Amino acid sequence: MQDENGVIEKVRKALGRTPGQKPSLPPVLDEPNVRLVLSDIGLPALFEKRALENKIGVTSLRVESLHEHLIGYLRSKGVRSVAIPRSRFLDRLEIRRALQDAGFIVKVWGEMTLDEVYDVDASVTDVWRVVAETGSLVVRASPDHGRSLSLVPPLHVAIVEPKNCVGDLIDLFELASSQEDTSAMVIISGPSKTADIEMNLVTGVHGPGVVQVFLLK
Amino acid sequence: MLQELVQTTLDKKIAEFHAHEINLFDFGRESVAAAHNERLKKAIDNAVVRNDRGRQLKLLELPDSNKVRELAGAIKQHTLDHLDYYLTQLAENVEKRGGHVHFASDGEHAKKIILDIVRRSGTRRIIKSKSMVSEEIELAHVMEAAGLDVVETDLGEFIVQIDHDKPSHIVTPIIHKDKASIARLFSEYFGTPYNDDPESLTRQAREYLRDKFRKADLGMTGGNFLVAETGDVITVENEGNARQSITTPRILISLVGIEKVIPRLTDLSVMLKLLARSATGQTMTIYSSIFGGTRKAGEKDGPEEFHLVLMDNGRTEILKNPEYREMLRCIRCGACLNACPIYRKIGGHSYGSVYPGPIGALITPMMRGLEKNKDLPNASTLCGACYDACPVKINIPRHLINLRRDIVRQHISHPVERFIYRAYAFMMSTPGRYKLASWMQKRSLRLIRTRDGFVRKLPFPGSGWTQVRDIPAPAAKSFREIWRTRK
Repeated sequence: MQDENGVIEKVRKALGRTPGQKPSLPPVLDEPNVRLVLSDIGLPALFEKRALENKIGVTSLRVESLHEHLIGYLRSKGVRSVAIPRSRFLDRLEIRRALQDAGFIVKVWGEMTLDEVYDVDASVTDVWRVVAETGSLVVRASPDHGRSLSLVPPLHVAIVEPKNCVGDLIDLFELASSQEDTSAMVIISGPSKTADIEMNLVTGVHGPGVVQVFLLK
Repeated sequence: MLQELVQTTLDKKIAEFHAHEINLFDFGRESVAAAHNERLKKAIDNAVVRNDRGRQLKLLELPDSNKVRELAGAIKQHTLDHLDYYLTQLAENVEKRGGHVHFASDGEHAKKIILDIVRRSGTRRIIKSKSMVSEEIELAHVMEAAGLDVVETDLGEFIVQIDHDKPSHIVTPIIHKDKASIARLFSEYFGTPYNDDPESLTRQAREYLRDKFRKADLGMTGGNFLVAETGDVITVENEGNARQSITTPRILISLVGIEKVIPRLTDLSVMLKLLARSATGQTMTIYSSIFGGTRKAGEKDGPEEFHLVLMDNGRTEILKNPEYREMLRCIRCGACLNACPIYRKIGGHSYGSVYPGPIGALITPMMRGLEKNKDLPNASTLCGACYDACPVKINIPRHLINLRRDIVRQHISHPVERFIYRAYAFMMSTPGRYKLASWMQKRSLRLIRTRDGFVRKLPFPGSGWTQVRDIPAPAAKSFREIWRTRK
């Protein structure tokens, strides 16, 4: 820590506090007023509703029809190359094999460079959690899951299980606090957008212009 | 040798900038000019009124938004009241995660720290995401002057940068610009045909900036919040450019004001529920990034080197004063700007500061000196719309009145104004003087009234007042005279 001009000391003096003096506890989160999702029942349906409001595409389907829908969707978007994270969940769903068999070029995080992510047409990823309250996807950085995967390709497809759903932002942050920290966690609530020019909404500025969720039943 | 050279150009540029800034700042002239600019008014109304309405609508989703705002205010107030403790905790946790923490006492110090990091690392290609605190110290200018390839990557800020303009709103920086002027700018800058379709303009900027992202070796961000217990920095945005800064480059610098700390990660649930709703009428911004330290072993993107620069730059002056401390609760949502009838008429540039609007009228005089900025606390009707809008319940109107009080107490108000108030106080202090004064006033005003019974033009010093107002002329008989005849 570099504080050659003594900023902390200046702050302490400004507050009239003595070094090492512990504060009282911060205000208690007043859950009845802050919490917006009160029940754990029906979270996937609520997530779907809110995600759609955020202009995230959502397709609910059974796991048996996932390959068919995913391949059809990627083809309809003119996708030829796909980046995927290293993920046991995706392995179990045999995503890599299915996409390769369908003729897509599949690159797996860990076997590709960061620069290559700029050239793929889409990414297909798992998620850490989704938040029903806000219709958001939550991804966390790890050696298996690069930060760039859900950011750089123009199309991001996420495969979500019902058990990924948390209700409220309160639940999300309580969960994140209880787990070992990650170097970066991102809450994604729609396709990248701007309204800087005369309040005209344009999607796909620097992040993916299209975000699509396949929600397993 | 080279560094000396860089430093001299830098100093010159900074001096030029400040000279220009002081000349520019004439609130009276700027605001009158702005209030007559119809195009500007339309543009501001379009963006600002829409966001204000969006805020009101979105807050309805909370069962009792007033209580949530009180809680958010209380969390920030608690942190400010114990800021030395939380800053120490934050710094320890950032370092535990492999980051470096630097405290900067002012803007010059912060710039020096940042330029030193850049020089030492030998990086040249810098991507910078939008942050108010970097605007506050004109960081991008300074880096450009130092010969670095630095690009603002938020679309609005990019446009501001290539047009050598200034942002006019803390959330939507280019509401003062129309698409035609942006189209002309792009056509000139990129050497491409004129096209004023917002979608095409955005695409053009995307392509240009994407290449910058790909090749960048140093990223810069600000921070909306800092979490003391984890050492995390939080940025919220819609475009994805701040995410680019924390993903691709080898080195990351986050420059954040010391007042941005909150104690716990769970406090974010309160803050994030209010921030986007208050700023743009969204439930959540598109991306909320929560990041800390360097990339972990085995990770293949994210920074290998992380620096958190925590800047004071006048904030401890506000902290010192318990009455004004709550000004530092501000989470820079811009809701008070959007709600303010004065901001809506004159736009952001008239305030002559990177922080315009009601909150700017408080913190600019506090951070840069009341005497130089004494017009700002008076640039308000005290209607209270800003207080109603504030997600952390800063009592802006009360502080505006208190700053006006300070202006009088410190004898820095205009001499004419001081004379008028003193004369007023003298004449009001006994019934006899009051009687004389009101008789004189009645006589003189009736003398210059127009035929329809209005006074339209007063001689100096009242001339400024009647420039934009008419007063009904006093009646022939005063209330006291009528009362006496009735008896």
